[in-house]
Amino acid sequence: MSPAGPWFAKTLLTGLLPIVCLAGLVWALHGPAAGWAAAALAFMLVVVVQTRRLAVLLAWLDSPGSAGFPDTGGAWGDVFLRLSRKLRHDARTLEAVEARLRSFRDAMDAVPDGLVILDASHRIQWHNRAAEAHLGIRLPRDTGAIIEQLVRTPGFADYLGSPDPTASFLLQSAALRTRVYALRVVPLGEQHKLLVSLDVTDARRVESMRSEFVANVSHELRTPLTVVSGFLEHFADEGTMSADQRLHFARLMSDQTARMLSLVDDLLTLSRLEAEDAPASEEDVDMADLLAQLLSEGQSLSEGRHRLAVSCRGPALRGDRKELHSAFGNLVSNAIRYTPAGGAIAIEWTLRDGNGMFSVRDSGVGIAAQHLPRLTERFYRVDRGRSRDTGGTGLGLAIVKHILLRHQATLAIESQVGEGSTFCAEFPAWRLKSEV
Amino acid sequence: MSDHLSKQFDLELENIRTRILQMGGLVERQVLAAVDAFSTGNLEEMQQVIDTDSEVDAYEVGIDEDCTLLIARRQPTARDLRLIMAISRVVTDLERIGDKASKIANMSRKLRLAGSQRIPRLSDVHHSGRLATDMLQGALDSLARMDAETARQVIGSDKAIDAAFNAILRQLITYMMEDPRTITEALDIIWIAKAIERVGDHAANIAENVIYVVSGIDVRHTAAVRKKADEA
Repeated sequence: MSPAGPWFAKTLLTGLLPIVCLAGLVWALHGPAAGWAAAALAFMLVVVVQTRRLAVLLAWLDSPGSAGFPDTGGAWGDVFLRLSRKLRHDARTLEAVEARLRSFRDAMDAVPDGLVILDASHRIQWHNRAAEAHLGIRLPRDTGAIIEQLVRTPGFADYLGSPDPTASFLLQSAALRTRVYALRVVPLGEQHKLLVSLDVTDARRVESMRSEFVANVSHELRTPLTVVSGFLEHFADEGTMSADQRLHFARLMSDQTARMLSLVDDLLTLSRLEAEDAPASEEDVDMADLLAQLLSEGQSLSEGRHRLAVSCRGPALRGDRKELHSAFGNLVSNAIRYTPAGGAIAIEWTLRDGNGMFSVRDSGVGIAAQHLPRLTERFYRVDRGRSRDTGGTGLGLAIVKHILLRHQATLAIESQVGEGSTFCAEFPAWRLKSEV
Repeated sequence: MSDHLSKQFDLELENIRTRILQMGGLVERQVLAAVDAFSTGNLEEMQQVIDTDSEVDAYEVGIDEDCTLLIARRQPTARDLRLIMAISRVVTDLERIGDKASKIANMSRKLRLAGSQRIPRLSDVHHSGRLATDMLQGALDSLARMDAETARQVIGSDKAIDAAFNAILRQLITYMMEDPRTITEALDIIWIAKAIERVGDHAANIAENVIYVVSGIDVRHTAAVRKKADEA
């Protein structure tokens, strides 16, 4: 719509022309005075009408309402129509922007890392939900608060003042001091800073477990090596050794190397077991056959020092025969090693409440209650000296636990010092072959 | 011009507040480290606590001077004046808490070096140490947020520390009656427990000062606030 021309023509046609015609008519009928008066009256009427519509517009602008716009018709109606259209459009845009902002905020709250935006004087502008838990701050209560006043750990203020981009600041949680957070500061725009907090508690725990494990492995490998190298030095030193002595030493050395070998084997088994969750194969394992094998292996390990008994009163078990054999064999050899000569060991496969139950009961030394929860940890030893004498690697029960986990079975240990121990592996009913 | 001046004033005041809260954070860690060192017998940690005391003293001197300068230059009134007064009182409390922390560390070191452990390192001491640091943390939080409600809760929890102190005392008396050789050791542990109990008192003082700033009412030595806090 080109403004000047039509606008002028419209005013002339709809506004001025009727008034001029009316005034001319009255003039012709009643003389000039009446003509002027009629023109003045007509103009006043126009002014009144326009003022009223202006008032309506102002009132409507103050509270547009949802009922639409006042229909006044004419030129004003057009104005109202356009205004209301624009208002509706703006409202829609605003809604869209708000929705986007909301989803953005939700996304920020879902981020597990804490985020805090700080202005130039380190006042908190905004933070997400994780930061609330990490740093103990809460909006809107803490909006505009200076962060150093709330996070008072010594050193934090210095870090915030001159952040080292290569290092992060470690902060212990305020509430219980049980969690550790790594804080980092990133410049945001010209003046602002973004404070990022990362929960590193678990990472640090894993790290310490790993280094403990490495230390343990090195220690376990080192011990036999020290023995072997000691004997080797002896051999090199003198030729005065009797043949008997030499034979004795050689046997001790081969014992030690065998221990190292079994340790490395166990480590490899563990790492293989950890790599996958499911048993290597699923087959029906004939338990009577497996138990017979365990018995003969147990007898050769015991060398007639223990009374071994086997009872098989359960169905076949679905799983990997090699793994199950290794797990059960570990339990049996543990029982033999920790039971003094003359003791009794009972190996059983039965049904209990529909579940399969493999148990090894011994009349051995027993385990004190405080050790039970940690028994399946790698290299956990109830008595360091004794278990090394009997030739264990410290990994046996860890392997058992992993194999049982892969077969959805649970390991229960009952023990009394001096009375003996019972190790029970309970397999879920669906792993049993139903006897038809 | 006056607007600019008041902005500058706000900045200075806020700086002092930040610094006193930083000092609080340092003292808080000292108490925690001292109590931990008592339980674990870590000599290195004890030494560290004792060494940090000079840092706390430096904070005290600096903040005190800033307060005096601010009063002289700006002549604050009403809430600002109350804040400055409260801060200079809180500084003293914090410095005392720092002293208590080094005292705990010193006593723990003495106990450790004496080598005798006829009395087990009571877990109650550690527990009351935790209570005291929690109180201190609450008091500092209320100072940071000018939150009178938290301050009242802190004043109320002072009772728990007093109760813990009495429990420790009873336990130690039993040891001393059973075996007089434990007396020296027991006395040292009593000093430590007493120091922890005093930390709680100072934390309550800090909380009282926060209430004074917020409401303008001096609640020190008044039974009303304690009673009110108990009800809360």
